[in-house]
Amino acid sequence: MTDRDRTVTVGPRHSPSWMSGLAQIRNQWKEMVVGYGLILPSLLVFLVFYYGPALFLLYIAFFHWNIFANDSTFVGLHNFSVLMHQPIFWQSLLNTAYYVVLVVPVTTLLALGLALLLREARNLRGGGLSQALVFLPHVTPVVATSIIWVWIFDPNFGLANAVLRLLHLPQLGWLASVHWALPAVMIYTVWHSVGLYTVLFLAGLSTLPKQVMEAAQLDGARGWLSFRRIVLPLISPITFFVIVLATINTMQTFSQIYTLTGGPHGGAGGPAFSTTTDSLLIYQTAFLYEHFSLGSAMSLVLFVLILGMTLVQKLIADRMVFYR
Amino acid sequence: MMKWFTYGFRAVAAALMAAPIYWVFVIATGKQGAAYSIPPVWRPLFHWAPFLYVWTHTPWARYVLNSAFISVSTIMLVVVTSALAGYALAELKFPGNSLYFYVSLGVMMLPQQALLVPQYVVMYHLHLLNTYTGLIVPFAASTSGIFLFRQFFMKLPVSYREIARLEGVSTLTYLRRVAVPLARPAVATTVLLTFISSWNQFQWPLIMTNSPGLQPIELALSHYMQAYQSHWRDLTSAALIALLPILIVFAFTQRHIVTAVAGGEMGQKE
Repeated sequence: MTDRDRTVTVGPRHSPSWMSGLAQIRNQWKEMVVGYGLILPSLLVFLVFYYGPALFLLYIAFFHWNIFANDSTFVGLHNFSVLMHQPIFWQSLLNTAYYVVLVVPVTTLLALGLALLLREARNLRGGGLSQALVFLPHVTPVVATSIIWVWIFDPNFGLANAVLRLLHLPQLGWLASVHWALPAVMIYTVWHSVGLYTVLFLAGLSTLPKQVMEAAQLDGARGWLSFRRIVLPLISPITFFVIVLATINTMQTFSQIYTLTGGPHGGAGGPAFSTTTDSLLIYQTAFLYEHFSLGSAMSLVLFVLILGMTLVQKLIADRMVFYR
Repeated sequence: MMKWFTYGFRAVAAALMAAPIYWVFVIATGKQGAAYSIPPVWRPLFHWAPFLYVWTHTPWARYVLNSAFISVSTIMLVVVTSALAGYALAELKFPGNSLYFYVSLGVMMLPQQALLVPQYVVMYHLHLLNTYTGLIVPFAASTSGIFLFRQFFMKLPVSYREIARLEGVSTLTYLRRVAVPLARPAVATTVLLTFISSWNQFQWPLIMTNSPGLQPIELALSHYMQAYQSHWRDLTSAALIALLPILIVFAFTQRHIVTAVAGGEMGQKE
């Protein structure tokens, strides 16, 4: 029996119109119930573990809070005023700013460069392998790869200083040094994340309209000129997206700081708090020292900062990004 | 000339990116004290005895099993919740359909580090601290999974669903028998993405568990790292245990993973 035969026998054609209207309402109703049923499992997870906590944060940041005893008193802005008087809080914001301001532009430029390189050489042998190797670090587990990087940054036997020795440059203390520990973490982060952004740029480059590129070439636009005037404006939405994503990610770096700096050089965030960023401080305040109220006030600050950064970037981008 | 320049440049870039992972092998399978030679050794000897020693002298099998159990459970749940919600978003008309699209998109926008404190409180009150459930269920839904399935289901011909409806087949049966099997690429992508993120899970278990029996591999590794400072061969051998499954999966599916991860991130851009 073909499909058409079925439709004729089941279809509402022969029933009076009010009945078909009723059937339609019943169908709509049914579709609605099924729809809600299908989104329910994921909705529950999102509400209970993400949106719920986000709203809850707004509440607990203004309370003095003891989760285990389950008692709380409204303290208004008290938690925030305590926070403002903690030098380590300001230090952590400075460290985060320093980290973000260096990592984001370096990663973005490097990713764009790598993407152009991979694209330029895509017809040469081994293109797939190169792209895979550039991307690989991004999927590796952070603790496992941090282990080898701690060795790389070892002041006596590590690769980093061996390279500097080879170039006759002064050797550095890396993770043991107050000045070089955070840059060492930055190097790890760039290594671990640049592949992701490279691939995003590659995706952006692959959507460049062929006609435009060819027309530009006919008009004599080559090399730097064509890149500056045509490629860059055309991929600006991707560039903007990469910058926002990189900013959001780097503002929340935790695992590599915890593992790279937690080893032989004292507790994580050291030496001398030089690598204590916002996420690390939240972790230590809330979960190591169990100051939940202070931890939630800090979390709220971070929350607002990240949203604020995204908004500012959006405003800037609206002036600069060329949307097709 | 230009061609050789790009060729060489590309090779150098790829080699630099791969070097740290290569050195895990050099140190883990090298001679005792290979990490302490000046200049550094660069050739892996592939002596697997030290690796096997480390594997058998610490309960790594337990941690690997923990990670595997957590990953597999998370993957199964994510595929189910994503397929269901993706189908509802793609095919069903109900008030709030497009709202839910933004609700699931919004989850990606919430800064994870700022949520940990309230999440901990919620986990405490749900008695999920220190349980496998607490390591799995919070990751049982995924925005990119939902979007992937939604996109795939939107491409299915409407007639398939019509026929199923006229035949009186229930939505769940239709999904299980027809829609999901047709959406195999979406399933594969979701499985890979979820595997990578749950195998690499570190901060969540660090905060939400404290019993060694539950530890996934990355957490166990970080404790091991603190206990065996600068025993480089042992440390890198242990790192290999966490690294190998990822390397093996990546070796076979790298093309798929690269597009999947890029696509998953791009999902936010829509």
